[in-house]
Order: sequence, then structure tokens, then C-alpha cells
Amino acid sequence: MQVLSYSGSQLVDLCSALLLLTCFAIVAQRRLSACVDLFALQSAFLVVTTALVAYLTGNQHLYIAAALTGVIKVIIIPRVLKKVIDRLNVKRELVMCVNVPAGLLICGGLVMLAFFISQPIIPLGFLLTRDSLAIALAIVLIGFFTMIARQKAVTQLVGFLVLENGLFLGATAATYGMPLIVELGVFFDVLIATLIAGIYTNRLQDAFDSVDTNQLTVLKE
Amino acid sequence: MLNLLWILLGSYVVGILLPLCLSRRPEVQSLAAGTPAVVATSAGIVLGLLGITSSEPVTASLVSTIPLLTFAIRLDPLAAFFILTISLTGLAVSIYAIGYMRHFDGRAPVSVLGALFNGFLCSMTLVVLADNGIFFLIVWELMSLVSYFLVVTEHEKAEVRYAGLFYLIMTHVGTAFIILTFLILFYDSGAFSFEAFRHPKQPLPEGMRTFAFLMALIGFGAKAGIVPLHVWLPYAHPAAPSHISALMSGVMIKTAIYALIRVYFDFLDGQFPWWWGFVVLLLGATSALLGVMYALMEHDLKRLLAFHSVENIGIILLGIGAGMIFQSYWLKELAALGLLAGLYHTINHAMFKALLFLGAGSLLYATHAHNIDEYGGLLRRMPWTGVFFLIGAVSISALPPTNGFVSEWLVFQSLFLSYQLPTVFLKLMLPIAAAILALTGVLALACFAKAFGIAFLALPRSTLARHAEEVPASMRVGMGLLAAFCVVLGVAPMVMLPLLDRVVTPLAGISIGGKVLAMDGWALAPVNVEFSSLSTPALSLLLMALALLGWGLAVTFGGRLRKRRYKTWGCGINLTPRMEYTATGFVQPIKRVFSTVYQPTVKLETEFLHESRYFAKRRHFEFHIEPIFEKYLYDPLVAFFTTLADRLRVIQAGSLHLYLTYIFATLILLLLLAV
Repeated sequence: MQVLSYSGSQLVDLCSALLLLTCFAIVAQRRLSACVDLFALQSAFLVVTTALVAYLTGNQHLYIAAALTGVIKVIIIPRVLKKVIDRLNVKRELVMCVNVPAGLLICGGLVMLAFFISQPIIPLGFLLTRDSLAIALAIVLIGFFTMIARQKAVTQLVGFLVLENGLFLGATAATYGMPLIVELGVFFDVLIATLIAGIYTNRLQDAFDSVDTNQLTVLKE
Repeated sequence: MLNLLWILLGSYVVGILLPLCLSRRPEVQSLAAGTPAVVATSAGIVLGLLGITSSEPVTASLVSTIPLLTFAIRLDPLAAFFILTISLTGLAVSIYAIGYMRHFDGRAPVSVLGALFNGFLCSMTLVVLADNGIFFLIVWELMSLVSYFLVVTEHEKAEVRYAGLFYLIMTHVGTAFIILTFLILFYDSGAFSFEAFRHPKQPLPEGMRTFAFLMALIGFGAKAGIVPLHVWLPYAHPAAPSHISALMSGVMIKTAIYALIRVYFDFLDGQFPWWWGFVVLLLGATSALLGVMYALMEHDLKRLLAFHSVENIGIILLGIGAGMIFQSYWLKELAALGLLAGLYHTINHAMFKALLFLGAGSLLYATHAHNIDEYGGLLRRMPWTGVFFLIGAVSISALPPTNGFVSEWLVFQSLFLSYQLPTVFLKLMLPIAAAILALTGVLALACFAKAFGIAFLALPRSTLARHAEEVPASMRVGMGLLAAFCVVLGVAPMVMLPLLDRVVTPLAGISIGGKVLAMDGWALAPVNVEFSSLSTPALSLLLMALALLGWGLAVTFGGRLRKRRYKTWGCGINLTPRMEYTATGFVQPIKRVFSTVYQPTVKLETEFLHESRYFAKRRHFEFHIEPIFEKYLYDPLVAFFTTLADRLRVIQAGSLHLYLTYIFATLILLLLLAV
């Protein structure tokens, strides 16, 4: 039992680390469709992690959460985003607020920050997933950073979804998942947010001939 | 009694839903809204009377899942009295509204208007019934919002939208202060039920009590229209449909009076330093005087009436303030008298102000004009409306034999009885307040001499007035009902006084029912019969006898009575409406006397004939009075907040990235702080 718990904990950590790795890939990636693919990959890792936690702890409702993640974040949302990208004539993001090397460095700093912050908390925990908390926090911060660093609405949306993945991982890591009803609500929210943001991106394209959110500054009086 | 309450609330709900579901014909819809309202208000009248006379308060409650909130209601004599006031006014207004709705054909959806009307009455009823702080706030806000939507009925006009916005802001600022009041009361009792407010676990410290007093005064004062928080009234009342103005001015602002009495005499237990009462008295005197003075300068009939609401709230506060002063010196009988006078004026004002607003609505209905300078000669064309308006005008001017006279007389008496107070300062101040009240009464009389004279007498001043016709029957019935109440409450105060005494008894802790009525109930006395007394039935008989005497003298000594119809002699020229007094001209002397208050700007431009400077081709006369409060109090406040907002705009660059960075930086900072 001890061995299983130990190796299980190692496996969870590994999956979480893979999630973090995809984050860096997203930050480094300029092509929009590739970003979406990477997000789908990250979500797939999230599904594996959640299922793993469910198996190791025997929390049945986590299976449902994992399945929902699979359906919504691996299949539906990437499809919606791909459709939006097809409609736009932008394939690559050329101008960024922060260029890729600097962005990667900042992300590295954020990961250190996340570990620094979680350091005092982690030993207090007793769950086998407790180490993932720092990673989850790092993913949240990187997702947030992506929203700031990118200028195209689609990549900002991907940043938001990455952030949400981080939150989900954090919830799983810290408490073996939120109550099922809350998780269902969150999934619904994410789905709706994506749809709205997709529509919003289209409108942005129609109004400004661009999906560059910097254009929104002209709305100010 | 509970069954009656459910009937009442149920009828309102039916009144809200029915007009929205029924067919599209406006006549059907206005009936569908009016009938449930009539049923509900009739039930309300009975419920009010039963509630005042019953020995124990009736309570009911519905527990909710939200913490601290229970839908608790409690019908004690004070609440019952206000339900009576709301329902009496509501009954007349509902009947009136059935006909008046035709005025809005094609301009506003009758169904929505009818539903909101019922909702408005219902929310006011619940405000006085609520027995839980949060529930009170919910229905209070509901009342404010519903009345806002009613104010902006004609939202296609820019000035109506402005009035609505102004009202909404003022009422929400008020609500903020009310929330503070309740939080202070909550602070020590730990619960939001009124029962806990009444009996806190430990008594509130003195400082907190004072704070609660001031917050409640500002919060409810904004709704009541106490100077200087009255500025929304002259905007909102003219903008709203007339029957709604009648309810807002007659009843809604009274809910604030209810709440003030509830907080001061019930929650704070009627124990306060003398200066609380003095502040209320001072505000009352200021409101009364300034209200009537600004009313005099108004030519829009509904704006004029709105300013009179400020005046009458002032008179009510004079009574309550005097009561509070007496209460703090343990002169219980006099405290009860002051409160009683204030409450009596509350119901009286509801009657005559609603009547006057309905009258104004009838004039609007008949002429489609707001300005009294466009009326004239309407008494002959609309005799019923004219007579009812006259009764209202007599009543608001505090002339016998109407109700306004009785309650103002009681307020006077309670102010005069200040000689029993122990301090010289107050012995001086209360009679000064009485003098101000006297001045107010005279100015009100002048104002209504103007309003009635210009609107109803002489020749029509516009084609609109010339073609005016009497209003439909339901509107006349509504006004007639209120006029009858005005006279009954004036001639027979002994009907009302025992009821009022029951309301006041738990608040002041003493019953003065036996002492305010002398001569087996046929005369009124301010506690002490030796001091003064007044018999209104005798007074009315005397007035009638005098009228008969005059007529008799005219018949006996005046020779033969012969009717001769002829034009008014005009020195040989034909009389035209242009020769009549204008409303501006009528009040010119008063404007001169009080020019320090009004600070008028008069502009006279004369355009001369080209050939000679001795002949004027056209004269243009303009005159404005300075809106002091708006200029020196509100404009600086608004300017301050605008500058503040401008400063803050620096951080609002409009860039999505910047906003995200703000959030991100805050998040990181908080995380670092937490470590």
C-alpha cells in the first residue's frame, strides 16, 4: 500500500509536470492552430491526471469530472476555436507584447514564484497529490501571463483556458476535486465563456478587421 | 385578521398579473388593474382599522434559506395606521386611475402601468408591515424601483429621464444611509429581526445611538423630502403620471415618516437627548417655510404641489420634533400630543395632497397643459373638478372646516405648550417654530389663492383651456372620495382621535385619549382643556350660520334680488385673457419681500420700433429664482465627484492588457503578502 501510494504520488507529479511543460510550449508557440492543439494536449494530460487521482483515491465522482474534461476541453472547445481561426485570416501571431525568449524567462520566474509561495503550505498537506499544488499555481500564473503577453483574442482565450486548467488541477490536488455540482457549474461556465469569446472574436474581426485587442483602446472616449 | 392580510396581498398579486395576461384592449386592462386594487385597498382599510383597535400585534413569518433573512410581518397599531392611510388614498386613486388611463392611450402600455401601480401599492404596504431589517430593505428598494419605473412612464422625453435618474440617485443614496442605520442596530443585537432591534442584548453606547439617529434622519429624510434633501421632488412628481404623483406624494414619502418613528420611538426606545428633537424640529421648520416659498414661485401646477409636499413633511416633522423634545424631558402627555399631531397631519396630508394631485391630473387630462398660465376659466367648464380642487386647496391652506386646519391646530398647540419645558432656550425656540408655521400657513393660502384663481377663474387663457371638458365619472368619483375624507376628518376629528391615541400610546407610553377630547368628544383640547379647546362641529355650524346670516342680510336689506346677465364692465373695451393677472404677477409682491431668499434674476428686453424709441414693438420678460440648494450644495458635490472620477481615469487606459496586468500584479502581490 505504501509503495502504491508512493509510486502513485510520483505518477501524479509526472502528469502535472507534463501539464506545466505544455504551458511553456504554448508560450513559445506563435501559430494559433498549434496553440489550440497544445491546449487540447494539455487538457488530455489533465484527464489522465484526474483519472489517476480517481483511481488512486477511489473517488468515483472524479471519473465523471475527467470524462467531462475530456469531452469539453479536449474535443468541443478546440473545435470551436479551430472554427474561429478558420474564419479569421490570421494564422500566426507576429507582434507580441513580450517576445518569446523574454516570455519564457518570465514564465520560469513565475514557476519559481509559485513554488516559493507554496513551499510553506505543502508540508501541511497529507494528500498524495499535494506536490501538484505548486505546479497548479504555476499553470494559473502562466495562463494569466499568456493573456497579458498575447495580442490576438484567440490566444488570450487559450491563456484563459490554461488558467482554468490550472485551477482544476489545483482543486484536484488540494482537495481531490470540488463537489461534483460545483465542477459541473465550472464546466458549464468555461464552455459558455469560450462560446461567448468566440463570438466576441468574430465581432472584433468584423468591427476592426483584426482580432488585436489593442484596437479596443479606441473605444475609450 | 391574517386572512384579511392574505386577501390584501393576494389581490395585489392578481392586480399585477391580470393586466399583463389579458387582452390588448386598454379599457379591459385598466379595469383588470383597477378592480383588484380596489378590492385590496378596501381590505386594507378594514385591516388598518382592525389592526389599530386590536390589543395584540398580529405576526406572521416565513423562514428563508438566506441567513439573517426571514419574511416576517407584524401588524401593530403604528403599521396599521399607515396601512389605513395607504389604503384610503389607494382606494380613491385606484378608482381615479381606471378613467385616467385613457390619457395614456398609445403613449404608454396601460397593462404595464396597471401592473406597476398594483406593485407600488403592494410594496408600500409591505414596507410598513415588514418586521425584519433585510426584508424591510428588500421591499423598500422594491418600492423605490417600482416608483422609478412609474416616474419614467413617458421616457421618450429627455426631462422625464433626467427626473427619473435624479430620483433614482437620491433614493439610493438614502438607502445607503438606511443600511448603515440597520447595521448599527444589528451591531449590538446580532440579528436583523425588528424584535432584536427593540431589545438588544446590551444597550447601545451613546455615540452609536447618535450615529444611528443621524443616519436614519439622512436616509429616510432623502425619501421624505426634508430640506436640503428635497431636490428630487420637484423633478420626479411632475414627471410621473398624476395618479402616481398622488401616491408618491401622498403616501410614499410618508413611509419615511413611518420608518423614522419606528426607529426613534420603537428601536431606540424613545430615549434621547433634547437636541435630537430640536434637530428634527429645526429641519421641519426649514422644510415647511422653504417648501411653501418655492412653491409660490412655481407655475407648473405639479411642481408647485411637489414643493408643498416638502412643506407638509415639514409640518409633520414639527409635530414629531416637538413630541421628541417633550419625550426627552419626560413630559409624556405632551410627547403623545406632538406625535399625535404629526400623525394626524400625515393622514390629512395624504388625503388633500392626493386630491390636489388628482385635480392636477384632471386638468392635464382636459387641457394637456402643465402651466397654470395656460388654464383659466375652468370652473365653468369643469365644475366638479373645480369644487374638489377647491376643497383640497382650502384643506392644504389649513382653513376650517377641513382636516388640514385641525391637524395644524394640534401642531400649534403642542408647540405653544412648550412653556412647560424646563429650559429657556427651548421655551423660546418652540414658539418661534410656531411663528414660522403661521407664516407657512399664510403663504400656503396665498399660493393656493394663486393656483385656484389663475387656473379656474376668469377667462380661459389658451385655446386648450377654452375647449376643456369635464373629466369622466370614475375620475370624479376618485376625487370626490378624497374630498369627502378631507371634510369628514376636519368636521369629525373625534372619529380619528381615539384611533390615533391607540397608535401613539405604545410609542409615548401613555394614553391621552381622554384628554384630547373634551365635552363628550365634541371638542378637541391639547391635553389641558383650560389651555385651549376647539370644537370643529360647532365651528362648522358657526361658519354655515354666518353664511346664512350674510345671505339673510343681503335678502332683507339688499333690496330685490334680480339676476342680470351681462359682460364684465371693462371701461368700454372688450376684455381679453391678456388683461388678466398672470401667475407671475400675482406673486410679485411676495417675491419682492423675500428677495433675499429667492435671489431672483429679472431680465427685461425691449425691442423698440425702428422709427421711434417711444414705441415698443416687443417686450421680453424673463425671471428666474436661484435654485440655492442645487447651486451651493449639489453642484459642488457633483463637481467634486466628477473631478475625482477624472483623476481615476488615468488608470483606465481602455487597454485589455493593462487591466489584465492590474489583476495579475494584485494577485502576485497578495500571494507574496500571504507567504
